[in-house]
Amino acid sequence: MTSPASVTADDLAALHAAAAAAGLTVTSSASWPQTDADREVTPLAGFIESNFSPLIAEVAERALRRREPIQPQATTAIVMVTNLGDVTSATRVAAAVDAGRRVSPLLFFQSVPNSIAGYLAARWRLTGPVVCVSGTKAGLEAAALLIDDGDTDEALIVRVEVAVTDGGGRDHAAAVLVTGPTNQEGP
Amino acid sequence: MTDAVVTGAAVISAYGRGTEALLAGLLSGRPAFAPVQRFDVSARRVRTAATMPESPDLGTELTGAIREACDEAGLSQADRARSPLFLAVHGDPAIARAPQAGQPGLGAEAFTAAVAGRAGLAEQGFRCYMSACVAASTAVADAAAMIRRGHADRVVVAGGYLVESDQFALFDAGRALADDGQVRPFSAGRRGLLLGDGVGAVVIESGRLARRHSSPPLARMAGWGRSGDAYHPCQPHPEGHGMARAVTAALRRAGVAAADLGYINAHGSGTGHSDPAETNALRLALGDAVAAVPVSSTKSLHGQALEASGVLELIVTLLAIRKGMLPVNAGFLGADDGCRLSLVLGEALATTAEFAMSLNAAFGGANTALVIGVP
Repeated sequence: MTSPASVTADDLAALHAAAAAAGLTVTSSASWPQTDADREVTPLAGFIESNFSPLIAEVAERALRRREPIQPQATTAIVMVTNLGDVTSATRVAAAVDAGRRVSPLLFFQSVPNSIAGYLAARWRLTGPVVCVSGTKAGLEAAALLIDDGDTDEALIVRVEVAVTDGGGRDHAAAVLVTGPTNQEGP
Repeated sequence: MTDAVVTGAAVISAYGRGTEALLAGLLSGRPAFAPVQRFDVSARRVRTAATMPESPDLGTELTGAIREACDEAGLSQADRARSPLFLAVHGDPAIARAPQAGQPGLGAEAFTAAVAGRAGLAEQGFRCYMSACVAASTAVADAAAMIRRGHADRVVVAGGYLVESDQFALFDAGRALADDGQVRPFSAGRRGLLLGDGVGAVVIESGRLARRHSSPPLARMAGWGRSGDAYHPCQPHPEGHGMARAVTAALRRAGVAAADLGYINAHGSGTGHSDPAETNALRLALGDAVAAVPVSSTKSLHGQALEASGVLELIVTLLAIRKGMLPVNAGFLGADDGCRLSLVLGEALATTAEFAMSLNAAFGGANTALVIGVP
């Protein structure tokens, strides 16, 4: 199995490289798994059966806890980056539908990535736009555009993929907080 | 900064294929809802949606709509090959039923690349937007902003949702669907939303590129705004603070006063919480001018197309102001004190509006506002 350190390094390196290419400054970052202690994603009340949303919350809150205080009125966008999305929930729903079983109402509320973004936004007063795109480069470019365009002051980018195969693969995620070049502190 | 304009548009809805079918359906005022035939709904609480006949394939329909929009824009094969695709969908529709070993090879990137490739668009620079009911409107806003800022000359934005068993089961389980078979936005007695087919594509270009075409643009992307409520995972802020910021940002960018808005195509989901929140947002953002702006939610006619809503309803708005006829807010039973807006009721309303707004909101408190102008 891939070591936590190398998965983390790949995710974070991709986010940092895309941030630099988009002209953004990284002000805080975090990843999961970060150490060997990161074995099970902490469950989150109201989100069931899938690590997708709890993983976004975990890594986002690690990055948010590490950041410097910002102006109270500053806006923060949430930009999620995922290729497979919540494939765990999607697979469960499809299986239930095909078997004629009832689908849990909680799966409705977590059926789009926006819900966990709304959870984070409410807890951390993040009043910027909520976006979910498929690629890391696109995510950082979208964040740069939102900052340039004035719809947000900073952006929280979370890149997440959950493992799809039993036994192999591993859930992994990374997050960066970014600001535009004009918000950089002087040398 | 250069203008961003819409030079091509194509659409598929429960009213049929093409913009003419959609406009005729909208102006008929007759909702497109009917019992679902496409898949088994016998175990569902609600069994109604707005669907086309049979089971069209999402990738095929998206490809067709993109080609048609590019044809209308007069794009050559070389033009298309230089144009990136911003695609709004829930994700790869095949992934949930693929064998586990095959799932990593699927995903939004591969699906978007395949649609772009089949439509002859650029192999690089494509994006897939998956942020629920603001996915397509966010993609349109991003495309317009990139063009306005000179980061791109042309972007093709497409979105697609075709009613299928899984989302239907989820919305049914979440008791979000209207059990009386009608969507009644802003109305007393509203009972929820109903899903509807929607596939749409627009070509958005810089004014400089558009001037090379012989025909004038369909509309100008005058303004846009995006915001978040920071309130709840799935409920909107009851006071509409977040949406009001999106509306204000869109009007400011457009340089349009609230009094100059001639039509608002509302998000208007027809659900209990969402409609009064949207009403409060419009009253907050537009002030006294709100009383004079005609509003309708055409979700009451074509249904809720989820990730595709933003592009479907942008096309609806564009067709309405180009025709000079505003579609009705169907299903209305009576006034709700929490939803006091100047709704288009009874029959379509003639207009000479030069500016119109399309509003969308989604889970997570995400809001978008798009302002278009007649060229």
